[in-house]
Amino acid sequence: MSAPAIPIPAAAARKRRRRLPFSPWHLVLIPATLVLIFPFAWLLITSVETSSEALRFPPLLTPHHLEFSNYPQALQGAPFGRFFINSAVVAVTVVIGNLVLCSLAGYAFARYRFLGRGLLFALIMATLMVPFQVTMIPQFIITKWLGVHLLAGVGINHIGALILPNAATAFGVFFLRQFFRTLPIEYEEAARVDGASRLKVLWRIVLPLSGPALSTLAALTFLDSWNNFLWPLIAITSTNNMTLPLGLATFQGAHSTEWPLLMAGNVMSLAPMMVIFFVAQRYFVRSVAATGIAGA
Amino acid sequence: MRRHWLSTGMAAALVAFGLAACGSGGGSSASTGLQIWEGYTGAEATAFKHLLSEWNAAHPSEKVTYLFVNNDNSLPKLLTAVRGGSQPDIAYVYGSWAPNVAQIPQVVNLTQVVQRSGVNWTDFWVGERDVATVKGKVIGIPALVDNLAVVYNKALFAQAGLSPPTPNWTWTQFMADAKKLTNPAKKQFGTAYVTPGSEDTVWHWEALLWEAGGQILNSSNTQAAFNSPAGLEALNTIRTMAVTDKSMYLDPTDSEYANLFNSGKIGMLVTGPWDLSGFPNVHYGVQVMPSFAGTNGGHQTISGPDNWVIFNNGASRVAAAEQFLLWMTAEPQDTYFSLHTGDLPIRASQEHASGFLQQMNTALPGVDTFVSNLNNVKQARPQLATYPKISQILGTMIVSVLLGKSQPQAALASAAQQVNQALASG
Amino acid sequence: MLAPVAALRRQRRQPATRATRHRDRVRASEQIAGWSFVTPGVVIIMLFGIVPIVWSAVMSFQQNNLLTGNTPFVGVSNYRQMVHDPIVAQAISNTLVYTALFVPGTMLVGLFLAVAMNRQIRFISVYRTAAYATMAISTISEALVFIWLFDPSYGIVNYLFSLVGIGQQPFLNSTSEALYVIIIMTIWGWTGFAVVIYLAALQGIPKTLLEAAAIDGAGRWATFRRVTLPLLSPASLFLLVWLTINALQLFDEVYLSTAGGPLNSTSVLVYYLYEQAFTNFNFGYASAIAYFLFVVIIIVTAVQFWGGRRFVHYRS
Repeated sequence: MSAPAIPIPAAAARKRRRRLPFSPWHLVLIPATLVLIFPFAWLLITSVETSSEALRFPPLLTPHHLEFSNYPQALQGAPFGRFFINSAVVAVTVVIGNLVLCSLAGYAFARYRFLGRGLLFALIMATLMVPFQVTMIPQFIITKWLGVHLLAGVGINHIGALILPNAATAFGVFFLRQFFRTLPIEYEEAARVDGASRLKVLWRIVLPLSGPALSTLAALTFLDSWNNFLWPLIAITSTNNMTLPLGLATFQGAHSTEWPLLMAGNVMSLAPMMVIFFVAQRYFVRSVAATGIAGA
Repeated sequence: MRRHWLSTGMAAALVAFGLAACGSGGGSSASTGLQIWEGYTGAEATAFKHLLSEWNAAHPSEKVTYLFVNNDNSLPKLLTAVRGGSQPDIAYVYGSWAPNVAQIPQVVNLTQVVQRSGVNWTDFWVGERDVATVKGKVIGIPALVDNLAVVYNKALFAQAGLSPPTPNWTWTQFMADAKKLTNPAKKQFGTAYVTPGSEDTVWHWEALLWEAGGQILNSSNTQAAFNSPAGLEALNTIRTMAVTDKSMYLDPTDSEYANLFNSGKIGMLVTGPWDLSGFPNVHYGVQVMPSFAGTNGGHQTISGPDNWVIFNNGASRVAAAEQFLLWMTAEPQDTYFSLHTGDLPIRASQEHASGFLQQMNTALPGVDTFVSNLNNVKQARPQLATYPKISQILGTMIVSVLLGKSQPQAALASAAQQVNQALASG
Repeated sequence: MLAPVAALRRQRRQPATRATRHRDRVRASEQIAGWSFVTPGVVIIMLFGIVPIVWSAVMSFQQNNLLTGNTPFVGVSNYRQMVHDPIVAQAISNTLVYTALFVPGTMLVGLFLAVAMNRQIRFISVYRTAAYATMAISTISEALVFIWLFDPSYGIVNYLFSLVGIGQQPFLNSTSEALYVIIIMTIWGWTGFAVVIYLAALQGIPKTLLEAAAIDGAGRWATFRRVTLPLLSPASLFLLVWLTINALQLFDEVYLSTAGGPLNSTSVLVYYLYEQAFTNFNFGYASAIAYFLFVVIIIVTAVQFWGGRRFVHYRS
């Protein structure tokens, strides 16, 4: 490499010197990724092992016999199609509910000054601080009461009972409040001066700028709802209304677990979540309009 | 464009919510049929469903539907349901919970029911009857019985030049065998012990305590009795293997020992019949527990029966539930279940039914020893509501000794003191 | 854009009655707007959150074995029992040590990986999805893999140790090491979450700011410290609070691996209270422990928010 005739800034000079065919970050990311996905690899491998090869310790990472029939076999023991639909209905509704309700509440906590705002936010955060193992019995009784006195569909053993308690979460409110506070308020103030209603400001100005946060919230809420085990376990009392995690538990016995089938079930349960994430990922890239404020 | 998308999405969510709320199976368990909560998987689930459909076909007005509840989580679910007034009709309840579950007001008293003609209550193994009875009241019908025996790897024994265990072997021989079977270079251990400190840790040791002629508590269940020469001998036996000989693999998570045995890394395991189907890669043999020379404990073993418990949801449902359970636990049905699952027969008379043991052994080699070993079950753990606390104290004592953190004599004394305190305040 | 904003400011400064009335109308409408926006979400969260919490508080003053409806009021005796219970002291210590190591650990690893993944290089979607996968995997699978990795005789970690001359460690068989295994296991499990949060936040940093810093001659590390980190502080606060709240309530990984052992060295508060509730049938006592933990979490979170006021920079 010959010395340049014209002096160039230091940053550009650094770029010139590094002439690898790929970004050096790959050298960091590849080992990191291997560590991150290692358990997932074990999960995949176990899911195609025969049960006798799965019953080894240390686990066998190179099985001699691949048993792909674990997948259809896993689906046979219980009505997994039904479980999938139940999980999907719950998860989608919960995600949409959270996006709407937590945006409204999060925005109000971030931008509006109203009486009791601080106390209310503290109370909401407080709901995160008592473990579910203690609150599940009162929650069960409340749900049963609602089912009898309000609407049968949200009572015990109904899918609605899995949706309603999670339709708005303290996590979502907290997360979006933090995010909205990072947005420059000038856009919103300008729109208000122009006569826009508060709702319109939220809808037309703030939400479009919140792509990364909303898609992150959607992905995380979906994940949480999809994997939720303890509350559905307590609330659902008939097989037809079970969700996927409950269905997967049917492979776990008191003394013996059918590991290959359980792992196959786990892989099939993971797949929709991976798809969701892949799709949501594209919205992580912010729209060009939000990359800067004029003059700021 | 975004507005349309979002409002369509909200509309869709409302519709989905409405459909879900209104449409999911018109309510809970069939209001006319019975509901039974159980945790059967694999072969047990298949056999159970077969029997259920047989019953349902013959009794269309008393249909029984099942709900799978993983046994690990069944207690929180059951207690929540009970507190909320939504208990099932029948539930599979671990025997160790019996003294506490018996206090639930909705649990049906079956003392008269099991005395009915045709039930043959004394045909159930004594260990089961002991665990189904709390303070003289029968609160459950036996669902499962098992016991502890020694499963050993025939190939490893041959490799080490050892002759396999005989029915009158002693713990001295067990320890010597374990030592010979331990090979650090091959990461091979003579035996294993589970050390999470839970009841699993404790009941293995209680078997040794009984074999050494000792007792857990005194006859009135008011004082600890394990702080005795028998207790010391039992504790020293496992301690020698774990700390001195290092022939004992310690499994703190209760998840590795079985697969290790199946991978040929462990010579002998003290375990139950449920593990046998997890050893497809090993030629194993089964032998009764060793005895302690010079004691009267013999080759006694310990059993962990579980119960079907009936909850009162109305007189007619209770009657139907009783009818169903008495049918399920009758000899023909239990024979079917045992043969198709490898679970031990819950009725003693089945041991001598012609061809039964051979059939079971063909399906699951070695299980016949477990069946006849049921005759070595002479007593049960104390049926006290405070037993869980006692179990925790004993568990800590055992793990502490196995990890080399305390000496057996001192550990026994300290544990006895704590148990006496718990019994006094319990 | 500046003109209308300035006009708004001018309007506010006028003490004239018309402006005052307008200001009051604005404030009143803001009250109404605030409350109407929060109500739907708040109703759900309060009904299913606060009501059970109050209910559980009542239970902590009762003797309750969950078996009968007979739950006599016993005043503070559950709390007094807690003070004299040596295992509670151990559980508190374990929980605090766990939290103090887990939270910064996860944040640092997550930040590092998020920065690494915040670029459009080849395979970047694969790397990001790998991070997400760690959140999606079931806890039982996670537990089994780590139990295996750290097995004293057959695990990979001791094998690697033997290659570099470090002695074989007992890990989960050791009262001093077991908690650290759990810490490593859970850092792994939560890294994906931290990466996702930080990635979203990194995407929100305007490129113009970074370019401006570069033009001003700031090196990459200086830019990171002076521009990126402060702009990430809202996300950092969020992660700090959220991870702490979760860490103080650790349960699943302990339940699925060590069962609080060996000898209560991994018994954390929620695990211990679960054991009290569903093994010892002592639900009143469990509720009291939960309440104590609740107070601890409130205090810690409040301190974090209060500290956040000083260190967190919102851009508005």
